[in-house]
Amino acid sequence: MITRREAIKWGVVVPAIAASSQAAFARAPQGLDAFLLDTRYVENLPAEHAAITAIRFAGDVTRPWFDTLDHAWRRRGYVLGGITGSDALFVLEVLAQQHGRRVVSQQQLGEKNERGVYPVSWVIAPVHPSVTA
Amino acid sequence: MTTPPGMSDATFADGLAEMRSVVGDEWVFDQPADLNTYRDFYSVLWGEPEEKKASAAIAPANVEQVQAIVRAANERSIPLYPISTGRNLGYGGAAPVLSGSVVLDLKRMNRILDVNEGNCSCLVEPGVSYFDMYRHLQETGSKLWIDCPDPGWGSLVGNALDSGGGYTTAGYRGHWEAVCGIEAVMADGELLRTGMGALPGSETWQQYRMGIGPCLDGLFRQSSLGVVTKMGFYLFPQPEAHLSATVDVFRFEDLDEMVELLNELEYGNVFNGMPGIGSPVLNQDNPIAMSIVPEPDEFNRMVRESGLPAWRASFNFYGPEKVIRAQWEYVQERFAHFADVKFGAAEPVRFPIDPPTLERVQKPRYGIPSLEIFSVGSRGFGDFNPSDGHIWFSAVIPRSGKGIIEANRVMRRECERLGLDLFMFVPSVTCWTRSFVLFAAVPVYKDPARNQHLRESVTEIIDICADHGWGEYRCPPAFMDAVMDAYSFGDNKLRRVNEQIKDALDPKGILSAGRYGVWPRHLREGRGA
Repeated sequence: MITRREAIKWGVVVPAIAASSQAAFARAPQGLDAFLLDTRYVENLPAEHAAITAIRFAGDVTRPWFDTLDHAWRRRGYVLGGITGSDALFVLEVLAQQHGRRVVSQQQLGEKNERGVYPVSWVIAPVHPSVTA
Repeated sequence: MTTPPGMSDATFADGLAEMRSVVGDEWVFDQPADLNTYRDFYSVLWGEPEEKKASAAIAPANVEQVQAIVRAANERSIPLYPISTGRNLGYGGAAPVLSGSVVLDLKRMNRILDVNEGNCSCLVEPGVSYFDMYRHLQETGSKLWIDCPDPGWGSLVGNALDSGGGYTTAGYRGHWEAVCGIEAVMADGELLRTGMGALPGSETWQQYRMGIGPCLDGLFRQSSLGVVTKMGFYLFPQPEAHLSATVDVFRFEDLDEMVELLNELEYGNVFNGMPGIGSPVLNQDNPIAMSIVPEPDEFNRMVRESGLPAWRASFNFYGPEKVIRAQWEYVQERFAHFADVKFGAAEPVRFPIDPPTLERVQKPRYGIPSLEIFSVGSRGFGDFNPSDGHIWFSAVIPRSGKGIIEANRVMRRECERLGLDLFMFVPSVTCWTRSFVLFAAVPVYKDPARNQHLRESVTEIIDICADHGWGEYRCPPAFMDAVMDAYSFGDNKLRRVNEQIKDALDPKGILSAGRYGVWPRHLREGRGA
């Protein structure tokens, strides 16, 4: 269950990463453990900002999942922000739910393409007592 | 809070309270935000009053907790719906078939209990995903492969129980066929082990499947008779190399003989990997959706004008390089008499596979789980939006050229008549070695009106297929009754015997009510409505 404190905390985060992808990343807030960047929608961004690691991928979530998130989401804490396609977010959301995490905020950043997929910024945070920090 | 049908709030609350005492408060989920996790994201009833929803969910950590939960449910007739990871999107996801059921979420039971290198087998709990198992094998330096579906985010146990399929070799890629040994909690809370697992002290549980007497493994396939808590699997020893090759022929008339020959070679173990039969000329507009097979003259004209092959058989060989090269050479000899035949083969891939090669191959062919399929639409293969989703239509059809052509034409014509969209259509999938399965992916919407049309159309297609002798091997919950009805031999004796078994083993009908059209006695007449 997400706490009021967490709701307030991530409520602050969302507006900060909900602008354009460039501005969003530049204004990435403190408190995120990593930032997932879908290169189909964001380019030319540094590998790190404000000590937050940026993980890049191109629509296929396999490598971020296997290399990073599957480990990180087994431990307590770990708040993940991202700017991705909505298709990638769907996959991450399903994976997150099984690990006691939830998309606590999201905002559409652009128009849907012909497949109904659109760029979106989001935050996935731990909500279950077994993984909250 | 939703309560199970016909149950008082007090009885349900009492049952949940006992379950809480078993697993701890934090592992019982009954708030709307938590229960959203247990919706079927690809439901054809999304947002409608009839959408199948859980009343609560509970996540036990071990077999003893499962037994205690089942006993608590049985005492009060609370319906349970076990899931492993609930990720079989397109076939129902984590949602129960009977609304109001308590989802028994086995995700915390995620221990890999044994990997036996010498026996090439494993024993796992239901929460172990293909990614979990792959990682374990990698980190321990194992020389064994899993066979995984695509996507590979689901559970070995759950996918096998659903009869899922993968992409490697015969004996492994039909996941139910690779099962050896089951442990299940029955509706009375007692524990059953099948095969050699029933013999205390046996070291052969993952070696000999049958044990003694009737083989009971089948009781748990797509069933409502127990909660599977352990399952053994055969694993494929990593081969030296893999070779993929194709045979192209250029006449409509070649298909029957091509399929007959492919069958003979596979059944004779000349090749062991998953074969394929396709039509480059009919897939020129969409590589994952075969268009309708026209009449022979028109078909052959299309072949001449396009220069594309009429039919393509693909072969996959896994084994020592010199052996698989020899097998491929033999296959070429057998097809050499076809007019204008063309052969193609890639250089063999040797294992372990190097990272650059790994990035460009279809990973499930090498037992490597992937999530890439969710982004496949971004590369232009059809109109695929994973957040709206799709359902699978999966009918078993005869493994022959005639079977492909007839199924293709019937499905294409009827779907066009009904206005039913297909974004993937392959009439000859070969996960299971002795038949073809016609696979069609039907887009699902978040729009009730469009979904109503979809449901009516798919139900009609089920009946049309049944008229041709084609039945689905697996289906989403909304169609389970219709599909089971189609298996109607002997006044639906199959369903009636399943119901008799259900009544005997689960007299209160607490487990997976309605799954694959088998309802407990008290819900049978209205089928859960």
